[in-house]
Amino acid sequence: MFNFKRPRHKLNKANENDLRLSDLKPGEKGRIIEIGGSENFRHRLIEMGITRDAEICVDKYAPLRDPMELIVKGYHLSLRGMDAQKIAVERLA
Amino acid sequence: MNFDIAVAGNPNCGKTTIFNALTGAKQRVGNWPGVTVEKKSGHYNYSDLKFDVIDLPGTYSLAAFSAEETVVRQYLENDEADVVVNIIDASNLERNLFLTTQLIELGKPLVIVLNMMDMAQEKGLQIDADTLATLLGAPVVPVIGRTGEGIDLLKEKIFRVSTEVSNKARLIDIAYPRDIEVEIENLSQLIRKNDITDKHTRWTAIKLLESDKQTRDEVRAHSNELDILNQAKVSIDRIEGLFKDTGRAVLSHARYGFIQGALRECVVETVVDSVDHSRQIDRILTNRWLGLPIFGLFMWLMFKLTYDLGSIPMDWIDTGLVALMNFISGLLPDSMFASLLVDGVIGGVGAIAVFLPNIFILFFIIAVLEDTGYMARVAFIMDRIMHNIGLHGKAFIPMIMGFGCNVPAIMGTRILESRRDRILTVLINPFMSCSARLPVYVLVAGAFFPDNAATVIFSMYILGIVVAIASGKLFSQTILKGMSKPFVLELPPYQRPTLRSLSLHTWERGYLFIQKMGTVILVGSVIIWVLGYFPTDVEVDRNYSSEKNILVSHYDSQLVDLESKLNMSIEKDRLEYHSEMVEYESSASYLELYQQFQILKEALASERSRELYSLRQQEIGDITEQKWIGRVGKVFEPIVRPLGFTWRESVALITGFVAKEIVVSTYGVLFGVGEDVDEGSQGVISGLRSSGMTPLVALSFLVFTLLYTPCLATVAAIKRETGTWAYTFFSIGYSLALAYTLAFLVAYFGGKFNWLS
Ligand SMILES: Nc1nc2c(ncn2[C@@H]2O[C@H](COP(=O)(O)OP(=O)(O)O)[C@@H](O)[C@H]2O)c(=O)[nH]1
Repeated sequence: MFNFKRPRHKLNKANENDLRLSDLKPGEKGRIIEIGGSENFRHRLIEMGITRDAEICVDKYAPLRDPMELIVKGYHLSLRGMDAQKIAVERLA
Repeated sequence: MNFDIAVAGNPNCGKTTIFNALTGAKQRVGNWPGVTVEKKSGHYNYSDLKFDVIDLPGTYSLAAFSAEETVVRQYLENDEADVVVNIIDASNLERNLFLTTQLIELGKPLVIVLNMMDMAQEKGLQIDADTLATLLGAPVVPVIGRTGEGIDLLKEKIFRVSTEVSNKARLIDIAYPRDIEVEIENLSQLIRKNDITDKHTRWTAIKLLESDKQTRDEVRAHSNELDILNQAKVSIDRIEGLFKDTGRAVLSHARYGFIQGALRECVVETVVDSVDHSRQIDRILTNRWLGLPIFGLFMWLMFKLTYDLGSIPMDWIDTGLVALMNFISGLLPDSMFASLLVDGVIGGVGAIAVFLPNIFILFFIIAVLEDTGYMARVAFIMDRIMHNIGLHGKAFIPMIMGFGCNVPAIMGTRILESRRDRILTVLINPFMSCSARLPVYVLVAGAFFPDNAATVIFSMYILGIVVAIASGKLFSQTILKGMSKPFVLELPPYQRPTLRSLSLHTWERGYLFIQKMGTVILVGSVIIWVLGYFPTDVEVDRNYSSEKNILVSHYDSQLVDLESKLNMSIEKDRLEYHSEMVEYESSASYLELYQQFQILKEALASERSRELYSLRQQEIGDITEQKWIGRVGKVFEPIVRPLGFTWRESVALITGFVAKEIVVSTYGVLFGVGEDVDEGSQGVISGLRSSGMTPLVALSFLVFTLLYTPCLATVAAIKRETGTWAYTFFSIGYSLALAYTLAFLVAYFGGKFNWLS
């Protein structure tokens, strides 16, 4: 039922090719692989539903290109690019 | 017998709506002790029992991150509530249930409210409330807060849960993966054995696994702390080893796992071809190209409506006040008391009362922006700019509210999570030009820039924004270094606001203003009146009464001249051209002559009243100079002289510290408008013009008024929100220094380069 045993990506040492949430374009969907950043930041995001394996969709960017609007668990959420950069995702078709 | 009911839920879940539906109008707003988080309470009766309801602040979790979360957690942990009512947005179940899992673990009797059932239906969600109730071990009541559907059933359920003793033991636990359950059990046993807390054992164990600071501190206060903390460490290590993540993250993921399992069993999602209206609206309102212009348009409309719409009732109030003053003056004999009542109280408070319509309209529009959900979009659109000065996009909301009044705006900084952000926003807020400064702009700009008044006023607002941003940047790089909290902002669906909630919000804030009129401004007006009334026996050098007599007889004789000239011309006209005419008086030629003279007479009369008025004002000026108010002004005059100000401006600014609008009332007293109330603000305008003020000085005065020390009420709010006198005095000193410097620069460079002349 719970799939926690996925090896943890060391985000701080993540390789260059790792796709980040901030790399997704408006309309693209992704699956969360790992959340980096400070403990408080990670926990806040997890509590708001940005959990590992959750599907997330980039709806759009703000008029000044930052922050971005996301759809996760059926609701709309906004994050800054610099924070979205700390979230590793895999692109979904 | 009465019961304490606590209402908890995520932000935007409709908590306030349900709270209002439960308690009706019987509610009180206060503060939680020690922190600046709003506390709303009310009550209702059901079946002869009294239920006291507390509306807890909206939170996503009980993690004790923000001030709000800490408040909610403390209140719920400390056994004060008999029943917790958890409001859930049914159209957004998964995330809303996260808080529910924590509330279940807390072990309080719980009633779950599925709010926004209409929205859920629209989304094609069919929720089996009974199954959900079984899974969560608590009654689930579907309601539509907006229409009040289901509220009666909710009251009944609350009544049942409160009175059923057996129901107080929790029936279910959130089931975690086996490895975690083992550790919870290990810890629970130790906790139970040591009888360490009167809280729910499982809750304490789970909080320990999450390395929750508050719980650890609590355990530490106990004698057997080491056993338990050691066990906690062992358990956490084991969990982290197994799941490769922190205990807290693992537990949060497990909670979402539980929620997903539950939703699979009780929610059927039918695909409906309904459109996501909010998303459609946002396609335009937060559009890449249209977002900013539309936001600008909304701001412009907000001001336009505030001032244009507000000026209509403003005239009525003005007329009403003048009538009232005349009525009272007519009723009472000329006495000190009459002057106190008419000039001091009605004149002073009335000068502010005329702005009530503007203020209420502004607060109403702000309520519309909030209730529709657009405010969250404002934060979204403006975050980039606010981020530049080290702030969160949400900080833009109190900034906009600052245009209404800095007091509620400063209170509004509570929506920010970090203390640093709050203090920074509080410190720059007074530079947002509040509506109290508007009367001053209108008066002074109207007097000296009649053709460009709107532009001058608008540039004051812009200057305020520029100063706020620059100061924010400065503070965030010096005294308030550090980054703002990560920007994690929910964009709730757009909602059609209800009139009830709009009027409630408008009234709550507008009432603060009325309160201010009845207290600070009333007292301030009386003090200014006293200063302007005493001493009563002042002597002036010039003999005004003889000057007045000379003026009067001069104009009288001119009038006599004019009359005789008219008669002569008429006589001549008749004899020369119309001698044979019988009805000369109705001839065209006579009427023309007569009209010509009438115009001359009117011109003479208005010149006469203008001169008399100006003489009268010079006299009042001379007299006031020797009253206490003038003497106070004289003391400070040397300080403000470099800015081009006289003792009048120094008095006006000093009294403006009480409340900035009072600057206008003070000018009213200084120019003796009270005795000639029909002149209204025209009297002050002509008084200002004849006082020797130049347009340049007027501009420098406006700049000073915009920037200098916030009013008393704002100072009190700054003290309350920052919690320290240090920031409060810093704010006073900084704004005073800045106002002086900028006003001086205007006066100096303006004079040097001959602006405005
Ligand atoms: N469609 C719908 N809207 C609701 C319902 N209950 C509340 N609202 C709206 O949801 C918005 C947020 O409600 P509010 O009570 O202010 O939420 P709070 O932030 O949790 O206090 C408001 O615009 C309400 O009118 C409901 O049952 N159905």
